[in-house]
Amino acid sequence: MDNLLNIGVAQLAVAENPVIMRTILGSCVGICVYERNKKIGGMAHILLPKNPGNANPEKYADTAIPMLIQQMLKKGCKREFMTAKIAGGASMFKFKSTTTLANIGENNVEATRQALAKFSIPIVAEDIGGSAGRIIDFFLEDGRLKVKASGDEKIYYKV
Amino acid sequence: MHEHIQQRIQSIIQNVEQLPSLPDVVSKIINMVNDPDVSFKHVADEIAKDQAITANILKLCNSAYFSKGKEISSIDRAIVILGLKEVKDIVVIATTKSVLNKVIVGYDLARGELWKHGVAVAMLAKKIATECNQKAIADIAFTGGIIHDVGKTVLALFVQSTFKEILNTVTEKSITFQEAEKVVMGFDHQQIGEQVAIKWKFPKVLQSIVRYHHEPMNAPDDHKMIVSIVHIANTLCLMAGIGIGSDGLYHELNYDAIKLLSLKDSELEKLFADIPELMMKAKDIL
Ligand SMILES: [Fe+2]
Ligand SMILES: [Fe+2]
Repeated sequence: MDNLLNIGVAQLAVAENPVIMRTILGSCVGICVYERNKKIGGMAHILLPKNPGNANPEKYADTAIPMLIQQMLKKGCKREFMTAKIAGGASMFKFKSTTTLANIGENNVEATRQALAKFSIPIVAEDIGGSAGRIIDFFLEDGRLKVKASGDEKIYYKV
Repeated sequence: MHEHIQQRIQSIIQNVEQLPSLPDVVSKIINMVNDPDVSFKHVADEIAKDQAITANILKLCNSAYFSKGKEISSIDRAIVILGLKEVKDIVVIATTKSVLNKVIVGYDLARGELWKHGVAVAMLAKKIATECNQKAIADIAFTGGIIHDVGKTVLALFVQSTFKEILNTVTEKSITFQEAEKVVMGFDHQQIGEQVAIKWKFPKVLQSIVRYHHEPMNAPDDHKMIVSIVHIANTLCLMAGIGIGSDGLYHELNYDAIKLLSLKDSELEKLFADIPELMMKAKDIL
């Protein structure tokens, strides 16, 4: 696939049809925002919920999401045509529940919801939690999201 | 349990030719570095015998992760500037890449993912060792990190044919993926990896890392610390999605390993948060 754009951990990017954006998730959350009129999409791969201050903004849900949306608006996207799909936020199958590490996945999802809500961007599909790793492909052709987890594939079409 | 699969794995282990190979120079260098009386010259000569490896090693010596700023143009210089232990780890990287940089079917790892995982776990394990006052064994943690999942390269085909069953066993019995591998196939990737490490004539401590990285408290007492270091590094890298495959996070984060290293929650979170920067530094190793 020539159009494949790999997004690494703590990275974000904005691209347009016919690009396919891909990332691989554990406890991280992949945020896929689609502007259906312009067929422009943005993906962020966040590692942790809250930026402690002036750390790398792409790493944290509360700073990466505003940055992603800003970049999309700059490309002429309209907020009212934007929707989001989120995936990831898994946690270790076995752990002692008192370690904060155990809750990182959940906290990432929560912070992602809050950040998207601030911009009034609805989450139209989510594939989150559990203990599966996920490979996600975000097709900017129509905004669909393919999630491969535990050997199975699901496709979320709603935009 | 599938007895025919268990038998096929058994025969692979017995016919060691079917396990991945590594040039002899690697175990020679690893064992030399552990010898307090070794001479620099002796190590340099051993490496220089293999020209292909030498060129690759010099390239790695000048990479962002290993470089100390000064241009290194000979193995002798590399040993002087970087030290024996660091050069040993560079030899391991240069020689194990062809074994680990493969598509791993069954575990659903694209080409390069298992290699990236090994390098990430290695760097993070070295960092944990250094920060937990275990600097003397940081280089062993690094080597162990690189090779800890080598068993997956052999087990992958069998995992592919039994994947659904392994995953069902995980949920039905509430056991980890690696425990379920053993239930379904008679072996897990740690046991196969240990056989590979033995074939490669790697020292006992590296065998322990490979054999117990998912169950650090079962390692021999004098290896518990280092196995715990690699265990935690492995867990953090998987959580960050680096080299995560179809076995996902269906593993255990062992609390006793965290206690053994006296790692605080905030320190663990900091290590986790630092993974992206570590990966940036490794770009030219991958
Ligand atoms: Fe493993
Ligand atoms: Fe691993």
